[in-house]
Amino acid sequence: MERREILLGNGAIALGIVESGCQVVTAYPGTPSSEIIPEVVRFVKTGGFNTYVEWSTNEKVGLDTAFAASISGKRAACCMKQVGLNVAADSLMSCAYLGTVGGLVIISCDEPMPHSSATEQDTRSMAKFAKVPVLDPSTPQEAREMVGVAFSLSEEFRVPVILRPAVRVCHARQSITYGPMVEGGRKADFRKNPDRWAATPRFRLTLHAELNEKGIEIGKRFDRLSAHNFHDLKPGKQYPLGIIAGGVPYAVLRDILREEDRTDIPVLKLGAPYPFPESLTSDFLSACEKVLVVEETDAFIEYLIRDRHKVLGRLSGHIPREGELLPQVIHRKVSDVLSELGQQSLKEEESVMAMAVVKELGLPVRKPTLCPGCPHRAAFFAIRKALPKAIITSDIGCYTLGINMGAVDTILDMGAAITMAAGFYHSFEQDGVAQPIVSTIGDSTFFHSGTSGLLNAVYNGAKFILVIMDNLTTAMTGMQPTPALGIRADGSKGKAISLEKTVIGCGVEFMEVVDSYDLEKMNEVLKKASAYVNDPGGGIAVIIARHPCLIAYREKAIPEKKKVLITDDCVECNFCIEHFECPAIFQDQELGRTSINQQICSGCGVCLSVCPTGAIVEAA
Amino acid sequence: MNTINLVLCGLGGQGILFMTKALSQAAIQKGYDVMGAETHGMAQRGGSVVSHLRLGDVQGSLVLPGSAQLVLALEENEGYKNLPFVAPAGRLFVNTSSPAFPNKKVKDYLDAKGIQCRGVPASSIAIAMGTPMSSNLALLGYFSASANDPFSHEDLRLVIQQISPDRLKEKNLMVFDAGFDRGMEEKKTLKA
Repeated sequence: MERREILLGNGAIALGIVESGCQVVTAYPGTPSSEIIPEVVRFVKTGGFNTYVEWSTNEKVGLDTAFAASISGKRAACCMKQVGLNVAADSLMSCAYLGTVGGLVIISCDEPMPHSSATEQDTRSMAKFAKVPVLDPSTPQEAREMVGVAFSLSEEFRVPVILRPAVRVCHARQSITYGPMVEGGRKADFRKNPDRWAATPRFRLTLHAELNEKGIEIGKRFDRLSAHNFHDLKPGKQYPLGIIAGGVPYAVLRDILREEDRTDIPVLKLGAPYPFPESLTSDFLSACEKVLVVEETDAFIEYLIRDRHKVLGRLSGHIPREGELLPQVIHRKVSDVLSELGQQSLKEEESVMAMAVVKELGLPVRKPTLCPGCPHRAAFFAIRKALPKAIITSDIGCYTLGINMGAVDTILDMGAAITMAAGFYHSFEQDGVAQPIVSTIGDSTFFHSGTSGLLNAVYNGAKFILVIMDNLTTAMTGMQPTPALGIRADGSKGKAISLEKTVIGCGVEFMEVVDSYDLEKMNEVLKKASAYVNDPGGGIAVIIARHPCLIAYREKAIPEKKKVLITDDCVECNFCIEHFECPAIFQDQELGRTSINQQICSGCGVCLSVCPTGAIVEAA
Repeated sequence: MNTINLVLCGLGGQGILFMTKALSQAAIQKGYDVMGAETHGMAQRGGSVVSHLRLGDVQGSLVLPGSAQLVLALEENEGYKNLPFVAPAGRLFVNTSSPAFPNKKVKDYLDAKGIQCRGVPASSIAIAMGTPMSSNLALLGYFSASANDPFSHEDLRLVIQQISPDRLKEKNLMVFDAGFDRGMEEKKTLKA
């Protein structure tokens, strides 16, 4: 029976994965990709399929795992955010050479702006770097279809294929119709072939040649008009301006041109942009005087066009070189180009006047903050108080928001809280300076790529305090379980990995576990840890600051709620607002005093020991 | 069918996603194709949350500023911030109890563009019903009092009933109805 359901783009991708008979699915959570796995699990459970689904400890681990499934003849997929593909790049580069047996599809989700990412990198460039095909969907429905196309391509040409949906596909919602699905029933069949699967450098040259050949053949395929690479040129007609677009910008452009009935502007959509469809593109270029390339997140198609004398885009400055190509940006830029070419521009934007009105209001910008009652806030407050001179290295996760409390000095990449702390230690120690350093990392990030850095730091004699902020979940990306919980992607029981044993296993000799809410105890342990680090025989001191995340564990995170009030002892020094930064403590403009917003206060009671004048008290 | 664009906005935790779900479900039941865009990830942590909803034959998930027939805001400043989305002669419903709403400059703009604007005490309604976190339902209920195209009050009420989890169904409908009653009252007063 057919169903019509509103699916998140990531749900549509999950549907595509399960519909394609994919039997092994791996992923590490990261915005905007995180919802793919839970949706795969939902479809798999509905179908009663025996699909293997895992949250891997990191993206490289996930891709290696999926690759083994592929060369056992099964279809496999590995999902991640765009920066996750950097972590998996070692695996990607090599498996492109080795090739696939069962279809192997890598889903790497891009994020212009970047709303929740470290970079605006373009996965299409990573695909080109690895010399593997990439598909670039414009809508959730197209993403779903492209998953199927990717599996077929991967099996036909024996090469991994990348799907790169951007955030406006992943987090779009679309009504989608689907029918019953069939389970992929292939049996694992690994055929030994050391020249390929264990290729030594001697064989790698041959494999490289094979990969280049595949690229040429796939490029020819992408040159043919298809559901994903097409244009609306009328035969024999010449146009003053044509537009080449792919991915999300294509969807935006298509809507704008239809809305304004601009059939005079032909569009070449490149949903399969690499290996580059050279002749298709050059046909389009021939029919146009000028061609504007509208693409995200970087110049890619524009670079691949060899003769750019007609081409306008990011490189020529006609399209912004960074940031998201929102509808209003595309509307304005297309209109500007049309005017520049002496063509009829698009309709005037209705919103210009409103933008000016809003700007004049001078509305406050709402920064993302740690939630009321967040255990990370308590830990950061204690660290700042106990070691005000410390360099605090941090990492990727909710605790990045400790930056609002002045408790985060560096963020680089997953795991860098530890590796950079070691780097700082050696840099200062070399000059004979005993610089206090505190490294802060979340539990999931620690399992992702913290352990190798910790092993290295212990081995090479670095000395600093490492606070593992253990909130018993992967909070920022939507409460995925961590290896320490022993809960697997499908909700089944796995083997729980002890954080404590892992730390000890890395060679650490000082470790204490503290409840993050207990500021007094935290202060005491930080002092003790500091003494250990400064002792000539000391080393790395690890503190596990543990308290469950309030969003994930709700009532369980605060067994006894405390009703908190601010008394007349408050001298309006703003210390709590600036240094504790709880959204529930605010300056009430009407009353002209610091107050507690009882509606959002979690009742954690941590702020009771924060006020310098003791004005924050528990209600009788 | 012409495209219908809606923008729902507020702060993280106010239930924007639930409102989006209700409206999209109502649209799908009316035979519309639905496309929408949501805020996830870091931006969700206490920051501004915006949800775009587009009904009809569209591929892009974001609403072009100046083209939303309806904007529902669960917080006053967020309502102002999203003012550029409202189309001329469109409608703007904002959760606020402030007698000074809308701001004078904004009012001039609204009048110039023929935009219908309502300040709705959705939070007060929700608090009075003992469910301070359901201002989203109060606002939806209030809006439903003047809704007819593409969905009516009955359509929206039915959807709330369908998508609310069992343990919240009764409460949700109660707040929705309270919002609706207030909407009807004010409609009468306006007419009189």
